[in-house]
Amino acid sequence: MRPIDLSLRGQAAAIAAGDADPSALLDEALARIEERNPALNAIVETFPERSREMLASAPDGPLRGVPVVIKDEWPLPWRAQRFGSAEMLTPTVPAESGPFRALRDAGAVIVGVGNMEELGAGSTGAISVYGPARNPWDPERCPGGSSSGPAASVSARLVGGAVGADGLGSVRYPAAYCGLTGLKPTFARSAMDGHHAADTTTTIVSGPLCLDAADCRLLSSVLFGESLGEGVASGLRIGVVRDVPSEDVDPEVGEACEGAIDLLRAETAGTIREVALPGLEEATLAAVLIANSDGLGEATPERLNRLNPEISLINRAVLKYRMLIPSVAVSHAHRIRTLTRRRLAAVFEDVDVLAWPTVPAPAPPLEAPIVELPSGTETADRANVRGGALANLTGTPAISVPVGLSSAGLPIGLQLGAAWGRDELLLDAAEAVERANGRRWVDARPPLADAEPAAADGC
Amino acid sequence: MEDAPDRGGQFIAAGLASLGIEADETELAVVGGVHEVFGPAIRRLVEFDTGSVIPEPDLDLSQPPPQEKA
Repeated sequence: MRPIDLSLRGQAAAIAAGDADPSALLDEALARIEERNPALNAIVETFPERSREMLASAPDGPLRGVPVVIKDEWPLPWRAQRFGSAEMLTPTVPAESGPFRALRDAGAVIVGVGNMEELGAGSTGAISVYGPARNPWDPERCPGGSSSGPAASVSARLVGGAVGADGLGSVRYPAAYCGLTGLKPTFARSAMDGHHAADTTTTIVSGPLCLDAADCRLLSSVLFGESLGEGVASGLRIGVVRDVPSEDVDPEVGEACEGAIDLLRAETAGTIREVALPGLEEATLAAVLIANSDGLGEATPERLNRLNPEISLINRAVLKYRMLIPSVAVSHAHRIRTLTRRRLAAVFEDVDVLAWPTVPAPAPPLEAPIVELPSGTETADRANVRGGALANLTGTPAISVPVGLSSAGLPIGLQLGAAWGRDELLLDAAEAVERANGRRWVDARPPLADAEPAAADGC
Repeated sequence: MEDAPDRGGQFIAAGLASLGIEADETELAVVGGVHEVFGPAIRRLVEFDTGSVIPEPDLDLSQPPPQEKA
């Protein structure tokens, strides 16, 4: 196997053991991007000289010499983030962000910037100033958003790992759509400084998108600035909620996730119990409202009146509409957040993890990002947020794990959530899922990543 | 209720104008579409009685909520 096709930890180990030359690996990653990215639009900018400089000065850290991708949500010392948009409400400048520093200090080599949904405002990745990234499993399908490019990059084996951000599910949705493992850490546990909303957001965190849970553990350790211990999930108490996120789903998704939950129970000699978590619908609404109002301080009529016309019409409309959200609704949303946190804390006294599908249906077409559910036709954005928002509202960690392929050959993701600070348990549980299914789904490769390298590869 | 969309349109146009936010006809139509999605959700949140919920002091989202005092 070529070094670029190894896992993130495999690449790191090969370099550390002297079995892989990091310069050659960087060249291989750049060649792979040149070969495969035109069909994906996953990476919007490379900077080979900067990457070589990072490699030349890379310390002997856990990712020394390993190429990675970072989302267009984080500034770099040589590049301001664009947030997938023609313009942001507040100007941005090149800077050292927390995730950049964490990667640099771990010895990683940032090889490119990943595409993303415009202004982070969607779950499909269908809108971006760069044009949408595409799903390696089917380039006509959505890769998921808002961390669309990082997910597509890893899924297509352009790199072994990528850093995204998750404010309302934006790591987990693309992980599910692209067949990856993606972790939304406990709030404030992963590097966040340098983000344009770092001082105002109460929902956004940085998070890893990787091929499997062990790689997520490695990249999370880098982003957290602490080594995340490895354990074996045993006697896992798995909670299932018989409500919209697990019930109003595509039958294939429901079947795959139910099967994976059963396997997880058997693998961990655990138990499954139904738990009640009332008010999920209100909690989702509260999360959406809070996420949309956290950054309102930067909005002024003057700024809104001179929005770049290249920003999509829908997002210009949302930016303006946010000014009309009544304060009483935001106040209620914050109280619902408190209520939901208390209810969830009570649930986590009885179970270790909550499990439900990450998204209710596999990746929809880019041309029409809508999904068919038992309750009817729905936009993917409205459907996805029902399962994704709870972790952001409450601050709890959640992970998406691949657990199957649909009959159309599209990945299916199971979401596991845990109590505050139990990110390690989620990684242990995700590894238990992998063991239980023989790593069938984390080792599955999209057709595009199975393609033979082009003749010019490596030149 | 039949004139609800019209009232929504008036709310959008008047609300934006009152804040000095400009929007042409196309934008107003799209903002109106956003309101059709968000409006019912906002109304539902406002109607949800949260009067008995005591807000968390010093909210720390990295930790579970403190135990409520009896």
